[in-house]
Amino acid sequence: MNDGAGRMRLIGAVFVLLSAAIVYQMIRIQNSEHSRQLVEMFARTYNQQVRIILPERGNIYDRWGNLLAGNKEVYEVGIAPPQVANPETVARDLAAVLDVDYYDTLRKAESFRKEGNERYELIKDFVPADKIRQLEQKLAEYENAEKPKKGAPPSLAGVYWKAHLIRSYPENELAANVLGFYNFLDRWNGRGMLGLEEQYNNLLAGNKQQVVLPLNPTEIQEIPEIPPGASLITSLDRDIQAAMERIIDQAVKENGAESGTLVVMDPKTGEILAMATTPHFNPNEYWRYDEIFPVGSYFNRAISQLYEPGSVFKVLTMAAAIDAGAVQPETPFVDVGAIEVGGIWIYNWDRGAWGPQDMVGCMQHSLNVCLAWVAQELGPTQFYKYLQDFGIGRYTGIDLAGEQVYPLSLPGDSNWYPVNLGTNSFGQGVATTPIQMITAIAAMANEGKMMAPHVVKAYIQDGVQYTVNPRVIRQVVKPETARTITEMLAVSLENEASNALVEGYRVAGKTGTAEIPGPGGYTNMTNASFVGWGPVDDPRFIVYVWLEKPTSSPWGSVVAAPVFSQAVEELVVLMKIPPDEVRQQLASP
Amino acid sequence: MLRREVWRHFDYWLFGAVLILCVFGIVMIRSAIAGNEELAGSVQSQSIYVALGMGIILITASINYRTWSSLSRLMYIFGVVMLIGINIIGEAAFGSTRWFRAGIINIQPSELAKIIMIIVLADYFSRTADQPKNLLWIGKSALMTFGMVVWILLQPNLSTSIVVIVIWFALMWISGLPTRYIIIFGILGVTVFALLVGLLAAGVDVPFIEPYQVDRIVNFLFPDPNARHGETYNIEQALITIGNGGAFGKGYGAGTQVQLRFLKVRHTDFIFSAMAEEFGFVGTTLVIGLLVFVVIRCLRVAQKASDAFGSLIAYGIAILIFFQMAVNIGVNLNVLPVTGLTLPFISYGGSSLISLVLGIGLVESVAAHSQTLDF
Repeated sequence: MNDGAGRMRLIGAVFVLLSAAIVYQMIRIQNSEHSRQLVEMFARTYNQQVRIILPERGNIYDRWGNLLAGNKEVYEVGIAPPQVANPETVARDLAAVLDVDYYDTLRKAESFRKEGNERYELIKDFVPADKIRQLEQKLAEYENAEKPKKGAPPSLAGVYWKAHLIRSYPENELAANVLGFYNFLDRWNGRGMLGLEEQYNNLLAGNKQQVVLPLNPTEIQEIPEIPPGASLITSLDRDIQAAMERIIDQAVKENGAESGTLVVMDPKTGEILAMATTPHFNPNEYWRYDEIFPVGSYFNRAISQLYEPGSVFKVLTMAAAIDAGAVQPETPFVDVGAIEVGGIWIYNWDRGAWGPQDMVGCMQHSLNVCLAWVAQELGPTQFYKYLQDFGIGRYTGIDLAGEQVYPLSLPGDSNWYPVNLGTNSFGQGVATTPIQMITAIAAMANEGKMMAPHVVKAYIQDGVQYTVNPRVIRQVVKPETARTITEMLAVSLENEASNALVEGYRVAGKTGTAEIPGPGGYTNMTNASFVGWGPVDDPRFIVYVWLEKPTSSPWGSVVAAPVFSQAVEELVVLMKIPPDEVRQQLASP
Repeated sequence: MLRREVWRHFDYWLFGAVLILCVFGIVMIRSAIAGNEELAGSVQSQSIYVALGMGIILITASINYRTWSSLSRLMYIFGVVMLIGINIIGEAAFGSTRWFRAGIINIQPSELAKIIMIIVLADYFSRTADQPKNLLWIGKSALMTFGMVVWILLQPNLSTSIVVIVIWFALMWISGLPTRYIIIFGILGVTVFALLVGLLAAGVDVPFIEPYQVDRIVNFLFPDPNARHGETYNIEQALITIGNGGAFGKGYGAGTQVQLRFLKVRHTDFIFSAMAEEFGFVGTTLVIGLLVFVVIRCLRVAQKASDAFGSLIAYGIAILIFFQMAVNIGVNLNVLPVTGLTLPFISYGGSSLISLVLGIGLVESVAAHSQTLDF
């Protein structure tokens, strides 16, 4: 065994050498550039997870803090196939509670057993909380149930649900035209559409935050709380909005109109108190948008639909003429029933001649001939300067997405003809939106100052409230002019014994009836409007009513004026405005 | 049988080292299963096997190893029958048939076959120690070896077959295989290997060679830089795991590769990598040192043995342990293609542990029964 002993030693040496080689290889691996890069690459790829955290979307409140748009908790329900203990129970219960397909669910629940599929299977998203309560109940039942003698015990093991928030509009249709909507079914890329939701999308959405979460269980880290999006406090008054929506719905129905718009604004600040339009839309079911608003119709007519306003426009013409000193309220005018402007004859609404009138009478009887004469007295330069100052043909800049504008044709434009001066003076041949009209006319109720219309009064961001200050667009007419116009329109309503009058409160206002142009000239369909404000000595509200194509009567005085009266009757109660007499007694002890 | 003098020469160092390795193995398995529910029972079953294994060492040590010499023919027949049996009625696991399921304990006959082959070959070479070392001598041992190996190959289990062939060759060499035959064997081996490669490259189906075995070797020799989750996944993860450990490791139960289960088969084939991540370079070096200590201790027993049979048994066991260790670590360190050999005493697996402790028991028996005239 001499040879054997030598070989034995040799073996020992080989073993030791090999072991040294192992140690050497360990050192090499731990220090090699390649494996260091592998470790780094792997750490980058798998040791952390990049997650985008969406902040809670900000709420929208009315002026008193009533919630108009908020968030509610819904659940995503899914299955982790490897953990499913009893696929039949899972499929049966989920199908029953969530109203999903039994066989599809069963296939997903069995997928691990049959296909070795380890993926998470989504069953249903946006499941309301009460359904989850039902599942929880079943879960508790199975836990307490006795094991059956044969087969697997019923079990919901492997079913998971995770809460997340979606947009919710607790008042449903209320003020939907102002709020817009949020396409919450798209959980990661949703955005606000139309109205406030679109206009203030960035503010409401807040800042997405990208966080890097380590997957290493020893470095576990809390998901940071991120501040929610800013909340909006609107100038809307929920009760007024509800009342106005009710009134306009009723008016549309009673008069067989195609649509109705009713805007209430505080003339002193430009705050929109209510903005009611038809048809109604429930933003909680925003996917029905196309059903309710077919192509060519407007989500919020008050800001988006252009139309020829008609005689309500005369307020602007008269204000301009009085402000420029072209006429006074007492200026006499003999109405012969027709006037020629730019080679074309203009007639009154009834084609009648109204004889000797003053300016109050012109407004009271809404005489086109008279107003065309007034515009001529004022002259085109002054007339169009005033219209531009009133914001005709310009955006009011209201903080709602979707405002439309139609450019005003001016002398010198290719589409301006001398007759325009005449037709424009009574609101034909010019297209405006209700918001433009109410903004311009509100200057009469605010000492000649035009206020920028707005819906958001304040917003709350990171716990701090920022107030949006009322903004003056411009002093469009002198305060005396505004007072004079108000007085003229109050008197003319009283003289007329108009349908617009409200008992106990002195209001000023003007009707409007505009013929709607069709393919072959003006048709016999009309837009019936009324603009009015009050109380005249201290205006607190201005109301704009527009009924599109009423069938009961074409006239604004018949159709729209009573709506104004109804609206004001409710407004004075809701706004707690005492009757004029009481107020004056309080003011002068 | 349980005479006191047996324990006088019992190698306590060897026993102690093996016990430490086994206990460390349990500890490492506990970390490596990393909350995997299917493997949750592994720690308990491995603990039972270790306890059982220690008993086996003591019992085997107390039996005089010379008894086995007379039983070698019977054991050989028993081994072959078991291997044939497994090929007929065995249970398929991971694509190859290797297990006998006997109640709770799964017996893998090929593991047992290694020990049987060591005894049988040690018996043969010690009996023929005085005979000329000619081709007949070689041929007889080759016949014995391949009579067993062919059944292991049929399972198919290439790695265990190679282990047995290595043991055969090592025992033959230590018994005085003339150098010229080594050269002849070398040339023969190279030729056969070249022929195999040529045939495989030509797409010919070679018996006993499975496609996955070829794949493993090809992947080892020519790693595809684009294959991330395919064939190179395991070895790449092992490298990352080892690199991750650094000098002192991430700490027990804190290795991300292990705990997050990026490393696969981490409680068996790749337990070395898991160890390297959690205990670092220092920890693994200590374990390697301990394993080498066991091997050296076995060689020492072989040197001091009173007869050739005992010496060859101890030597064979030393070869077995070292070869398995070297191959397993070699795979983990990406110097050898993936084989499936376990890390002795540490990797999870009852059959492997039982056969190894049987081997250690035999070595202890050789140590204990060496000086029969010692009073």
